[in-house]
Amino acid sequence: MPSTADQEWKKGSAELLVLSLLEEQPRHGYDIARLIDLRSGGSIHFHVASLYPLLYRLEKRDWIQGRWLEKANQRRRRYYRLTPQGARVLADKRRQWQEFAGAVARIAGVEHA
Amino acid sequence: MPEWKSEIKKRLAGLHLKPERESEILDELSSHLQDRYDDLRASGVDQDDAIRDVIAELDSTDLVSELQTTEEPPSQPVPEGAPSTGRFLSDFLMDLRYTARTLRKSPGFAAVAILTLALGIGANAAVFTVINSLILNPLPVDTIATLAAVNTTQTKKAAQSDDLQLLSFPNFRDLREKTNSFSSLAAHSNPTTVTMIDQDEPRRVFMELVTANYFETLGLRPSLGRFFLTDEDAKPGAAAVAVLGYSAWQSRFGAIPDIVGKTIKLNNVPFTIVGVGPKNFKGLYAIFGPDLWVPSMMARQFLPSQQQNALTDRSIPSVTGIGRLRPGTPFTQAQAEMKIAAVALDREYPDTNLGQTLVVRHLAEAAYGPEGRGLLLGSMLLAAIVGIVLLIACSNVANLLLARAAARRQEIAIRMALGAGRARLIRQLLTESILLGLFSGVFGFLFGYAGCQLLSSLRPAEYAQNLAELRIDPAVFGFTFVIAILTGLIFGVVPALRSSRTSVSEVIKEETRTAGRRRGRFSFANMLLAAQVAGSLVLLVVAALFLRSIRQQYTIDPGYQTSRLALFMLYPGQAGYDQPRTEQFYKLVRERVSNVPGISSLTWASNPPLWGRKETGLVIEGQEQRKKSDALSAVVNTVDLHYFSTLGISLVSGRDFTTDDRDGSASVAIINDTMAAQVWPNQSPLGKRLQLPQGKNFLQVVGVVKTSNYQTLGEPPQPCVFIPLRQNFSDAMILYVRSEQDPNTILASVRDEIHRIDPGLAVEDIRTGAKIIDQALWWGKISVNLLAVFGFLALALASVGLYGIMAYSVNQRRREIGVRMALGASQGKVWLLVLRQGMTLVLSGLAFGVALALLVGHALSRFLYGVQGTDYSSVAGASLVLMLVALIACYLPARSASRVDPLTALRDA
Repeated sequence: MPSTADQEWKKGSAELLVLSLLEEQPRHGYDIARLIDLRSGGSIHFHVASLYPLLYRLEKRDWIQGRWLEKANQRRRRYYRLTPQGARVLADKRRQWQEFAGAVARIAGVEHA
Repeated sequence: MPEWKSEIKKRLAGLHLKPERESEILDELSSHLQDRYDDLRASGVDQDDAIRDVIAELDSTDLVSELQTTEEPPSQPVPEGAPSTGRFLSDFLMDLRYTARTLRKSPGFAAVAILTLALGIGANAAVFTVINSLILNPLPVDTIATLAAVNTTQTKKAAQSDDLQLLSFPNFRDLREKTNSFSSLAAHSNPTTVTMIDQDEPRRVFMELVTANYFETLGLRPSLGRFFLTDEDAKPGAAAVAVLGYSAWQSRFGAIPDIVGKTIKLNNVPFTIVGVGPKNFKGLYAIFGPDLWVPSMMARQFLPSQQQNALTDRSIPSVTGIGRLRPGTPFTQAQAEMKIAAVALDREYPDTNLGQTLVVRHLAEAAYGPEGRGLLLGSMLLAAIVGIVLLIACSNVANLLLARAAARRQEIAIRMALGAGRARLIRQLLTESILLGLFSGVFGFLFGYAGCQLLSSLRPAEYAQNLAELRIDPAVFGFTFVIAILTGLIFGVVPALRSSRTSVSEVIKEETRTAGRRRGRFSFANMLLAAQVAGSLVLLVVAALFLRSIRQQYTIDPGYQTSRLALFMLYPGQAGYDQPRTEQFYKLVRERVSNVPGISSLTWASNPPLWGRKETGLVIEGQEQRKKSDALSAVVNTVDLHYFSTLGISLVSGRDFTTDDRDGSASVAIINDTMAAQVWPNQSPLGKRLQLPQGKNFLQVVGVVKTSNYQTLGEPPQPCVFIPLRQNFSDAMILYVRSEQDPNTILASVRDEIHRIDPGLAVEDIRTGAKIIDQALWWGKISVNLLAVFGFLALALASVGLYGIMAYSVNQRRREIGVRMALGASQGKVWLLVLRQGMTLVLSGLAFGVALALLVGHALSRFLYGVQGTDYSSVAGASLVLMLVALIACYLPARSASRVDPLTALRDA
C-alpha cells in the first residue's frame, strides 16, 4: 500500500541503513558511521551523538545484538550483529523501501540508478 | 590527546545512569571519538582542528535527550502490524515519562510556567465556584425545573419583576384549594428575625414560617429527625415545633447529635426541635437564608403586632407560594391558571384584591430576588476578567515554550531524521504542554480553594451562617480539570505546530547553536506580548473605574447623618411583651438611655436605614380612581418623636410630630418632598389626606421633610410616608441614638442600660451609621477588591512575560550587541536599543489596549456611579502604572545588555 510505504520510509530509513550494513557482517559503531559516509559519497553523515542512541534503540528491540570483542593489535570494541528478528525486520523494511522508491519513480518518472 | 571520556561524561551527567552502563557507554563513545580523531589526523588535519571537529560532532545533538528515549526500562517491542491502539498507549506512556524527565531537567522553566498557569486557573476556579454556588446551582432542591414561585403584583406592573409582593395567607389557601396545575403548593414567609433563647443569652436568629408540605414539595430529606406533620400546621397555634437549619445546627449548637427533642425559646415561647434540615439548604433565596423553620400556623407568635392577624386577614402580605408542577403540566398552563384565579379573587374580595394579579416564575429565577440581574452581570464580568487573566497566563507560557522550542530545534530535527512523524512529534509536544496544564491545574485548584476561603471570610460576621456557602463540589473539580487541559492545548498548540515544522536538513546543516530564529516566530511572540499588555490594561482600567465608582458611592449623602448614629435592634415584641408593657418599655428606654452620658438625642423607628418597607396601594383623598389603574406605592416608616432631628433630616414645611399626636387625636402623617411633588404638584400638601394600604382611616399631612435614601444608597428619590408611633403601635421598633462624639464610645453603656431594663431582651445587633453604609456597599467593595486583585495579577503576569522575552532576546543578540560595542556603540546606545525594542512593543499594546478599554468602559458605564465609562483619568492612571512596570521589566535586560563584554560575546559566538 503506497500510503503505508510513505509513512514508513522516513521512519525506517536510518534504521534500514544500519540494519543493511550489519547484514553483511558484525561491525562496530565507528565502522558503521564510516561506511555510511563512504558509501553515500559523503551526503549522509551520522554523528556520534545520534548514531549510538539509534544503535541502543535497535538493540533494545532485539533487532541487533552488541558484544565487546578484543581483536589482535586493536582496541577493545563493541561489535553489533543482526539477530534473526532483525533480519526479518530488515527484509520487511527493504520491501517497503522498494515499494516506496518504486512508487516515487513511477510517479515522478525517475529512472532507476 | 584530549580526555574523551571526561568530555562525554560531562554530557551524560543529567541521565543518572547506572555506573556499569555509564562506563560501557563511555568506553564505546570514546573509542568512536578516538577513531575519528585518528582518521582526521591521518588525513592531515592539525591537532587543534581535529579536536574541535570531534567535540563538535559530540555536540551536534543533545546527547542526553537522545539517550533518554533509549536508556529506559526495555519497552515491549511492538511487533510489526500491531494494532495501533496499543502503540498509541505505549507512545503516550513514553511521552509522559519523557516529559516528566524534560521538566525535571529544567525546573526553573517548569516552576515559572506552572505558577503562572496555576494563578490563572486558580482565579477561574474561584470565580466558577462562586457562579456554580450562586447561579448555576443555587438551591439543592429536587428537579428545580418543575418548581415555581407564586407572588402577587399590581395588574399594571405585571411586566416588572421588581415590584413583586407576598401573597396574603388566606389568598394562598384559596389558591391551594382551587387550582390544579400544581401537585402540591406550599408557602414560606421571608426570613424574619426572632429572639432565640436556648440556654442563657438571648440571640437574634432568622426564622421562616412554612406550611407543613414545604419540605416535601421541594423534595428534601432531613439530616436528622423529621420535618413537619400535616397536623402540626392544621390550625392556629397547633404545635410549637421547629426544624433547625443545618448550618445553624453546626454553628449555634456545635452540631450536637441529640439536638432533636431539645427545647428552645423563640420570642419567649418554648419550641421543640423535631429535625435538622439538609446540608447546604438555606431556604429559597440564593443569597440569604434562615436559621430555622416553624409551621405557618405559629404566625401569631412571630409577626409584629400590626400583622398579628396574618392568617386570616387578606390585606396582610405574608408568604410566597411554592408549587410543584404536576407531571406533564407545562409552565405556561400554571401561569394561565393563576391569572384566572387572580381574576376570581379580585371579583370575590375587591376590598383587598382589586387590581392585583398573580405572577408565576421559575423558582430558579425567583431565587435571586431583585438583586438577581446585578448578581448575574457581576458574575459574567468576573468570569470575563478571569478568562482574560488566564489567556494572559497562557500566552506567557506559550512564549516561554516558543523560546524553548528555538533551543530544542536540533533535538526535534534529529528526532525527525530518526523517523518520528510530524503528528507523532506534535503529540509528544502537546503531551508536554497538557501535562504542564494538569500540574498547574492541581495548584490552581488549591489557589482557587484558598481564594474561596478568603471570599467566605469576607462575609459580614453577623450574617455569615445565613449567607450562601461557596461549595467546592465535583462540578468545580471537573471545571478545573477541563480548564487545565484546555489551557495546556491553548498554550501548547502553536509552539508545537511551529516546532514540528522544523526542516531536518536545514537544522542538521547548522553547525552551531547560534542558529538564528526565523523572524516570523519572534513576531508571533511579539504579538502575544502586545496582546497581553492590551489585556492587562483593560483589566486595570476596569478596576480603576469601579474603584472610583465605589469612592463616589462612599461620598453619597444618604440624606441623614451617619457619623454620630448608633442603632440598636431591639424588637421588644419578641420578648413576649404585650402592648402596655411594650409602650412602658419604649418610655423607660427613652427616659433612661437619654440620661446616658454622651447622648444628644434618641428615637424609635420601625425601619432600619436602607431597609425601607415599601407598601403599594396608597389612596389619596380626591384621587380614588388611582387605585384601580396605577397604584401608588411609598416607603412607610413608623417613627417616634425627635426622629427627624436625631437623623438630621430637615423639615421643609409644616411641623414635626408632637406629644399631642396620640391615640384619640386626629390621625396625622408626614411625607417627603418627593411624594409632595408627585401627588400634589404645585400645591401645598399640608392639610391634604391620604390612606395607607392597610390603614383603616385617612391621615392628614401635617409636615413635609427632605427626601433621603430609604432602600439603597444613591437610589432615585422615592415617596415616603412617616406615621407617628403613638398613633400606630408597633412592637418591632429599632432604637436610634445620636451621640455627641464617636458613636462607638456609647455603644456599651447604652447596651448595659437596656440590659438593666430587661435582661431577657437580645441586644446583639448594634450598628453604627458608618457600618450601615459599609454594609450597603459590602458587595460593591468586595467586587472592587476582586477586580483590583485580578487587574494586578494580569499586570504581574504580563510584565513577567515581557521581562522573559526581553531577557531572551538580549541573550540571543549578545553577539550582535558585542559587535556594535566593538564598533564603538556606547553603553547608553545599547540601553536605548533594548529599551526601544521593548517599549515599542509595550506602546503598541498600550495603544490597542486604550482603545479597547474605552470601549469596555463605555459598555460598563451603566454599572458605574458618578464616573464616566470613558473616564480619562482612569485610563491615564492605568496606562501610567503599566508603563512604569513595563519600563522596569525592560530595564533589567537592557542593563544586562549594556554590560555585555564585546570580547566575551564575540568569542562565545
